[in-house]
Amino acid sequence: MQKVIERILNLLAFLLTVERPVTADEIRMTVAGYDRGNDEAFRRTFERDKDLLRRLGVRLELRPTDAWEVEHGYSVRPASDFPDPGLTDAERAALWIAAQVVRMGGRSSGPDAMFKLGGTPLIPAGEPLAADLGTSEEDLAEVFVAVSERRHLAFAYRGRDRVVAPYGLAHRRGHWYLIGPERGADMIKVFRLDRATPVRATGPAAGFDRPDEFSAASFIPDAPWEAGDAAETVAVVRIDPALAWWAERQLHDRNTVTRLGDGGIEASLRVVNPDALIGWVLSFEEGAEILGPPELRQRFIDRVTA
Amino acid sequence: MSSVRTASRLNRLLGMLPWVIAHPGTTVEEVCTRFGYDRRTLAADLNLVFVCGLPGYGPDDLMVAYIDDDEVVVEMADYFSDPMQLTAPEALGLISSGLAMLSTGEAPEALRRAVDKLAAVMFPDAGDVLTVDLPEPGMAGELRRAAADGMVMHLVYTAIAGDRTTERDIEPWTVFSTLGNWYVTGFCRLAGDARVFRIDRIRSLRAVGERFPRPAETPPPLVSYNRGDDDVVCVIRLGSRARWVTDYYPVDVVEDSGDGGPVTIRFFAGDASVAARLLLRLGGDAELLEGDEVAAAVADLRRRILARYQTLRGDPE
Repeated sequence: MQKVIERILNLLAFLLTVERPVTADEIRMTVAGYDRGNDEAFRRTFERDKDLLRRLGVRLELRPTDAWEVEHGYSVRPASDFPDPGLTDAERAALWIAAQVVRMGGRSSGPDAMFKLGGTPLIPAGEPLAADLGTSEEDLAEVFVAVSERRHLAFAYRGRDRVVAPYGLAHRRGHWYLIGPERGADMIKVFRLDRATPVRATGPAAGFDRPDEFSAASFIPDAPWEAGDAAETVAVVRIDPALAWWAERQLHDRNTVTRLGDGGIEASLRVVNPDALIGWVLSFEEGAEILGPPELRQRFIDRVTA
Repeated sequence: MSSVRTASRLNRLLGMLPWVIAHPGTTVEEVCTRFGYDRRTLAADLNLVFVCGLPGYGPDDLMVAYIDDDEVVVEMADYFSDPMQLTAPEALGLISSGLAMLSTGEAPEALRRAVDKLAAVMFPDAGDVLTVDLPEPGMAGELRRAAADGMVMHLVYTAIAGDRTTERDIEPWTVFSTLGNWYVTGFCRLAGDARVFRIDRIRSLRAVGERFPRPAETPPPLVSYNRGDDDVVCVIRLGSRARWVTDYYPVDVVEDSGDGGPVTIRFFAGDASVAARLLLRLGGDAELLEGDEVAAAVADLRRRILARYQTLRGDPE
């Protein structure tokens, strides 16, 4: 391990000071620790080192070494592209506790990120609270970078290929949502990321403009059936007295809820994702019923009969 | 040699160097606390730095790094004075964790400032492009305080849809949220064992007026998939539109066509009705391959639901 670390330190020191792209060959002949005799051994070592650097967050780029673009060499993107956020010790400590309490995809963010930000005493959070945001950072990284760099994302969604300008990213009630218009369209849509596969960035950075007043929070659906691109309908759902309390807890204030004489409720819900509403009504088994509209009621019956 | 360990050691070293360079005269104790070193491992890392530097690799080209009494000294290493950049997953993880904690309303003001600073660096051209909302049910705060103070709580709890409501006393340990639902773990005096309860299914809650000693160690806050002998098992083939099920339930993948296509899973549940509700919900996107008990539960649930829709359906004409 020591040899690898020494070689990487030498390589980074060289790349950070040389101020021009340097070819693999120049690195091999200049930086201590590389095999100068065996081509294949050098190639394998150098590939591994590049991987390691990228994993550490070093932005290694391949650029032409001269105006004729005959040769390409490596350079490190300057740190000024990601200025130091300048956290105080109290801010670092608060962040470390949050990172332990809120996990992503079952894992909490390790101390690695904190070390990059200047370190913090690694005390356990010790709070009787924990949360998991579902998807891991790695799965979301491509989307996150695209949102940050304003690059389009291509993915298949509900059986159709889309190219979307990712204005924002939001998490609510266990789901991650991508928010933005499809390319060439104006209407901002909300896509559930676990239903979009596979997601990859496409096109150049700064490929679209984000409206100044954009706010991801204002697009997060309050309920799963409010995220989708079906034509909007208003569903009327009746819930029996035994489970009305549980339904009411899940409905937000903007829904119209009528209390019935027997203690049950009748809720009018705005629906743009009928499947999600059907899933919710099924969670009550025979304790709830879609009263209308007739097409949605029939769709529910068809689903149950299938 | 593990490349994960190498990466993690390098990461710490490259985090420590800029900090020491920016804080000349810093002590061994300070560096150890901040970066999780002990004196020996810190000295070992500094020794590595000491033999590295710029091409030429003579005394004037190498970095200087050593421990002088209680002081950490790093010199001739100015090219390492800029802090390392966060990777996209790291930045996303930290900002999301911070936002999630802020949305519960239980976070210090310093966290708000930290998240704002990180977001300003990641999204210099826009304000509110990432949002994480983790709305807490009303009882979560009360249960968390009860867990912290060791208060026994009495709950009225509805286990699943249906009328299975029970009353019990629990010793709450941890309040947690996963996949959008909130849970409390604890020792259940009715069951005489550790249990996990979904907080939105707790109909009412009150303190019993008794305290319990908080155990030194509590199980990790996870929806427990301790597969019991009574668990219902079935085999389901999921179409590509239903693959998300593998992320949301404790399943074993039996066969995966890969590339987003169909996947066959073994599904476990404490109660056949859980699998039945899921299968009805998935409709044509899933097919039950094995599991008589689940097949019977699906048929039963289908019959009960359709009976309701037939009773109330249609005009008399």
